[in-house]
Amino acid sequence: MSGVGIAYELALMRIFSIAQWHHFAYMVISIAMLGFGASGTALALLRSRLLIRATSCLRLLVFLASVSLVICYAAAQYVPFETYQLVSQPNQMWYLLALYVIFAVPFFLIASTIALAFMVCPEHVGRIYFFNMLGSGIGAAFTVAALYFVHPATLPYLLMLPAAAALLLLSVGNRTSLLVGVIPLILIIIACGTFGTVPIRISEYKGLSYARQWPDAKIIAERYSPLSVVTALKSSQLRETPGQIANYPMAQLGPLPEQIGLYFDAGAVSPINRFDGNLQRVAYLDYVTSAVAYRLVNQPRVCILGAGGGTDVLNALYHGAQHVTAVDVDPGVFALVRQTCRDFSGQLYERADVTPVLAEGRGFLQSRNPSDARYDLIQIPLSGSYSAAAAGVYALDEGYVYTVEAFSLYLNRLSKDGVLAVTCWLNSPPREAIKLLATAIEACHRYGIRDPSRHVVFIRAWNNATLIVSHRPLDEAAIVRVREFCTDRGLDLAYLPGIQAEESNRYTVLERDLYFEAAQALLGGSQDDFYTDYLFHVRPATDDSPYFFQFFRWSALPYLLRGMGAEWIPFVEWGYVTLVATLAQGLVGSVLLILLPLLLFARAEETRSAIPWTLVYFASLGCAYMLLELAFIQKFILYLAYPVYAVAVVLTAFLIFSGLGSLFSERYRSSPVKPVGSAILAISLTSPVLVLILTQGYAFGATWSDLVKVLLSVLLLSPLAFAMGIPFPVGLQHLSTTKPSMLPWAWGVNGCASVLGAPLATLFAMHLGFRGVILTALVLYLIAFGAFTRLRART
Amino acid sequence: MEKRTTLVRWEFVAIAVLALCPAWWALGAEADPYQAERERMVREDIAKGELWGRTAVKDKKVLAAMREVPRHKFVAAGSEAKAYADRPLPIGYGQTISQPYIVAVMTEHLKVDADDVVLEIGTGSGYQAAVLAEIVKQVYTIEIVKQLGDQAQTRLKTLGYQNAETKVGDGYFGWPEHGPFDAIVVTAAASHIPPPLVEQLKPGGRMVIPVGSPFQVQSLVVVEKRPDGTTTQRELMPVRFVPLTGKAGGK
Repeated sequence: MSGVGIAYELALMRIFSIAQWHHFAYMVISIAMLGFGASGTALALLRSRLLIRATSCLRLLVFLASVSLVICYAAAQYVPFETYQLVSQPNQMWYLLALYVIFAVPFFLIASTIALAFMVCPEHVGRIYFFNMLGSGIGAAFTVAALYFVHPATLPYLLMLPAAAALLLLSVGNRTSLLVGVIPLILIIIACGTFGTVPIRISEYKGLSYARQWPDAKIIAERYSPLSVVTALKSSQLRETPGQIANYPMAQLGPLPEQIGLYFDAGAVSPINRFDGNLQRVAYLDYVTSAVAYRLVNQPRVCILGAGGGTDVLNALYHGAQHVTAVDVDPGVFALVRQTCRDFSGQLYERADVTPVLAEGRGFLQSRNPSDARYDLIQIPLSGSYSAAAAGVYALDEGYVYTVEAFSLYLNRLSKDGVLAVTCWLNSPPREAIKLLATAIEACHRYGIRDPSRHVVFIRAWNNATLIVSHRPLDEAAIVRVREFCTDRGLDLAYLPGIQAEESNRYTVLERDLYFEAAQALLGGSQDDFYTDYLFHVRPATDDSPYFFQFFRWSALPYLLRGMGAEWIPFVEWGYVTLVATLAQGLVGSVLLILLPLLLFARAEETRSAIPWTLVYFASLGCAYMLLELAFIQKFILYLAYPVYAVAVVLTAFLIFSGLGSLFSERYRSSPVKPVGSAILAISLTSPVLVLILTQGYAFGATWSDLVKVLLSVLLLSPLAFAMGIPFPVGLQHLSTTKPSMLPWAWGVNGCASVLGAPLATLFAMHLGFRGVILTALVLYLIAFGAFTRLRART
Repeated sequence: MEKRTTLVRWEFVAIAVLALCPAWWALGAEADPYQAERERMVREDIAKGELWGRTAVKDKKVLAAMREVPRHKFVAAGSEAKAYADRPLPIGYGQTISQPYIVAVMTEHLKVDADDVVLEIGTGSGYQAAVLAEIVKQVYTIEIVKQLGDQAQTRLKTLGYQNAETKVGDGYFGWPEHGPFDAIVVTAAASHIPPPLVEQLKPGGRMVIPVGSPFQVQSLVVVEKRPDGTTTQRELMPVRFVPLTGKAGGK
């Protein structure tokens, strides 16, 4: 059931990302997880009654939990919730509340089955905790693997199978239970299999929903992976050519090529252009912003990080690239371009001069030996959808592609005459492009370029901008070519070595050209003043706090309010607003659903003296565990370079080793202070060492094979995870022998802390960096130890 | 006799007044119940400057048109009460009716006159077309989603906008049969400014196109075609933001 719980959570994350937006998934799931904590409260209140018929109750709970997986998923698809209408339609709040309630049900039921097991066998807390962790680990690994083969909407149905197996195990030897529980459940599963899954209700404001309404729109294929569901849609209406092609002489050079759109989770789109081998048919590509890079390199060896449908690959070929390495992290993309759209794309990824690579961009470059992998052009194309970028929904995304360290790596992998070209959307008020520029300049300094002002070109169209950083100072001839390119195409120069104010802001005239001003400030040596003064957080992201898309500043809130009114804030910074809202609602929900009922109904005489220290101990543990787990997952993601595997491996290893720790702790039933103390000491010692190894030794072994890296990671984190698994079950064990009525408290408080731990970790990471998160966790562990010694004294 | 005639006349007047009373009452009932709200919308949300750092819309023609068009008849059933609030509203099919202020700003920047011919891409509910039809000689409007296009056409005709013609189809290539146009307004999101539309713009004409969706802080790009056929673009931020200290970038 633990496995089912975590798998269901991961499945819902994916489903919500498709239906609405992923930052929102976070918000709904976190509240649903309150079901975990609330189960502790419910069991505490019903404890005596439940224990009388524990096995029957357990069977009933498992049965209800497994049925709720599908019923709640299906019910949610009929709730007409729309994120974007939250502000304009007050009744959307009710729909949101309905979603919370619906999804809290399965988590409540699943958690109840686990908590009941703890109550039934208090003498085996460590063992149960071990199986709980093992199950969670397997559940996480299973989900990641399953998402390669099935659509996320199928997962809730699929998860009924292990739940049914659990019920079968509980019912062995009991004919009634087999008859009224197992057989009906199997019949329900067969019925679900026959009628098929309820499709995900996708927001009508997502790109795919809109495109499907076009008269000739046709979905031609769909591919799944744990990263995304990629949908290929064909329509004559598709014209995804972001840029300034108003100057494109369509009459002479012909219309834009037909396109097939690859929609990621029904949102952002990356086009595949129809290509028949005749590069003249894609001549429009010389009119997009990123084409400026080809004014600086000749017959280049190109590496594209995030190649998608291949537009930038075509652009490289159009401009005479010698060879193109097309890196993309999503297997669905390659499957669709290379198989389904093989002929349409002109077998783009099969060409001798194009090498497709399935990998995360930065990890790919890191893993290549610098002596045999130098590129004349490293390109990072536009990513995500314009609307998502403009509304700030990526704020919560950790992106190791856009950090100072990443940019230094790109510079390091350039040939002597090479250039790095990054294209991004423009958003108003300006922030993303400015942060990009700041990151590049900071990286130049770190890489050892003394005067970046001779190395940077920054141009903008009406809705996107391209930033160039060259390995060598740009010579006069190159500067002239860039000028000509921009003049011919009506593109604005925001920065060019030797730029004069009157050269800027000529074509898409802004009231105030903040891009030009930012470049002057950042390259003129007054970065720090600029970062302090600017309305948004545009200080470069680093590996320790890799939130490139986080622009919100609390200090700027009054100015934002004065400038635009409170109503507009969400439209600028959705991601951050959601994070804060998640934290706030988690806090309120925890108090209302978990703590208040316990306080109201728990028998005071039993628990009064132990309540505060129990609260402190389990709350600190819950929070600290989440903080450390999330921080180290992030650190390992960077090392393993492939997010899905990294999360699966690290999470599974974490859970399993923690489980082993808890199993080990059973030995010290009689003297609990010793294991808790040693575990916390071990955590405090291993964490900093691990941080040191991961940050200093990051480049070390980067070129080793993935398997070696995975094994090494597991080996490195195992002592820490093992130690982290000890304090919680020992605490439970101690309560179960001294004050068993306090067990549900422990469970409930730990549940609350876990709900709050995830958004807290992100918030801390944004403001303090991962090192700050780890330090906070260590302090919490020390507090927990203090509380434990007090707790023992009281009980 | 003289006196009697006067008396008769007074009687006539009294009867006429009494007879007209129900008619006035009926007329009063017919009068738009949203008139006052519309007045408020124009006065407070559109014509008043510097609210939230906004630029006030000053063009009298635009303000008159915004006062005239019954916006509540362009929103989804059930949303009438919110029709005059300054926010975008959903109209189904993943589309929205833009907030009144943005409609007013876009119309103002088109700088249109009574004898102009205007093309609109992205009819939606037809509200922008109606506002334009109040001002110009002829509006042509194109919508890609058939249901929306058909609904808008019926709505515009019912409301008496004889000078607004709707077509269901692809707006990218404009409506060359009726071009060139004095002004073009694009209300749908676009990844680039469609070259065919620039072509169908008269020299001296203007095109307004939004950057970003109605659910974000929008900016508008105004494309002007010079007499020699070349174009200039200006980006406008209808909602202004105040830099933190004013020092930023100013050095």
